[in-house]
Amino acid sequence: MSKISAADFVKAFQKAHPEAVKSIESTGPKRADLVVEYDDFIDAAESLRDDFGFTMPVSGGAVDYPDDNRIQMIYYLMHPNSRFMLTYRVDLDRGDPRLPSLTQVWEAMSFHEREAHEMFGIEFEGHPNMIPLLLPPDWKGGHPLLKDFKGEGQQ
Amino acid sequence: MREPMIEPDVMRISWGPQHPMSGQTRVLLDVDGEKVHRIIADLGFTHRGIEKILENRSFFSGIIPVDRMAMVDTANMSIGYVTAIEKAAGMEVPERAKYIRTLICEMSRINSHLYAFGLQAESTGYFPAVFLWTTVDREVLLDLFEELTGARWSFNHFFPGGVHHDFPDGFADKVLKGVKYLRGRFKDYWDAMVENPLFENRCDGVAILKPRDALRLGATGPVLRGSGIDIDMRREEPYNAYDELEWEVITEDACDVMARTKVRFHEIGQALDIMEQVAQKIPDGPVKGRVNAFMRVPEGECISRVEAGRGEMGFHLFTDGTGNPYRVKINSPTLRNMYVFERLAELNEVYVADIPVIINSIDPWYLDSDR
Repeated sequence: MSKISAADFVKAFQKAHPEAVKSIESTGPKRADLVVEYDDFIDAAESLRDDFGFTMPVSGGAVDYPDDNRIQMIYYLMHPNSRFMLTYRVDLDRGDPRLPSLTQVWEAMSFHEREAHEMFGIEFEGHPNMIPLLLPPDWKGGHPLLKDFKGEGQQ
Repeated sequence: MREPMIEPDVMRISWGPQHPMSGQTRVLLDVDGEKVHRIIADLGFTHRGIEKILENRSFFSGIIPVDRMAMVDTANMSIGYVTAIEKAAGMEVPERAKYIRTLICEMSRINSHLYAFGLQAESTGYFPAVFLWTTVDREVLLDLFEELTGARWSFNHFFPGGVHHDFPDGFADKVLKGVKYLRGRFKDYWDAMVENPLFENRCDGVAILKPRDALRLGATGPVLRGSGIDIDMRREEPYNAYDELEWEVITEDACDVMARTKVRFHEIGQALDIMEQVAQKIPDGPVKGRVNAFMRVPEGECISRVEAGRGEMGFHLFTDGTGNPYRVKINSPTLRNMYVFERLAELNEVYVADIPVIINSIDPWYLDSDR
């Protein structure tokens, strides 16, 4: 896969998948940011890997926005030839957060999805091994990184 | 962790969680005789909830838990968080402070790699002496840390907008003296490890990770560069004074345990070069600007990526205009490399006796994977 700048990638992806893009921008020379429609989540990811050369998964995590009633799942990807980072985002319904697992596209997202599952309660459909990663196996305290989580001693 | 199902005709060995080589974790090995079929990493024994803690702390006091994420590599942990805050708040750092940060980060990297060598030598079973050598030699660095920052470990020297202390009198000369001493010692390490047939037998051709697999599995740091891919955040996204100094990204093409060890060797040599350049080139001027410890950061988000001893350390900082972060996502290198470690048993023929050697070639630090 040849080299491409973050700004050129933004234009090319917008042209290739206009229906999948909710918003896309290049926020710096080494950064691109893409929010996709929920229904095109897996197809767009496959296109990123196969057509645009994002072969290197970096990480994944989520952010809770209780005021908007949404949780945003963010995957961090790197373009190994052009060395810029893409934040690949999708918005989930906070009442019932579920998402097809991205391990079918980048298997290394496995650990990060396990973490997001226990910390935010997101259900990843089709994940091969959905067991807790960091929390104890007998943990019953809820999902710690949600904004309305109350720890022991907090009311 | 609930243990995954075990296959028939396979025995499961549990290694850990009491300090298997380095840190608290547990590794499950499904073995058939000597051969390892499957590796399962059980993380989380040192989970402290740092991401949640940071949401409830001011930007300044949040630096302390971040600093504690890797004791041997503490400067390279906090520099990522501090850089993220500076980017979000649009703060400038004085030139002299950038050079001091570079010096401390490189000393921290040497400290981290020395620890990795000691364990690497110990894991092969032949050279516990090398672990003692590295422990003694890092005293040189710890003394320098103490003189500059006031603490030998966890010195918490960086804050948004600068560093706490300038060089004491005659410090640059002491750095040069320390560099000279460590250079002399590295010839011994090279002879005792890389040039040693006993060490070569244990490390050459073990746990091969091809470049394509390294990318696909998300490897980072010396593991990635040991597979011949020249990705180093110091060059890709320059921070500190790295873009003003002369150095290059080190790679090795053998893709095995020995290649990862050699990458660390050469990175130490290079870190010594960088220390020397900093001591000679450091510009005059202030080391901190005007800073408000109760600073507020405008609403927005930013990502900083720095190269720690174990690989890329990423901070995604979300701010909402108050004095605390809204959310901090920490992308830690060990979590990525542990996934690679799990998959190595499928990519190679791995034997039980090789497991300590392989896990140390990844150089895990569970305090940063568990956060």
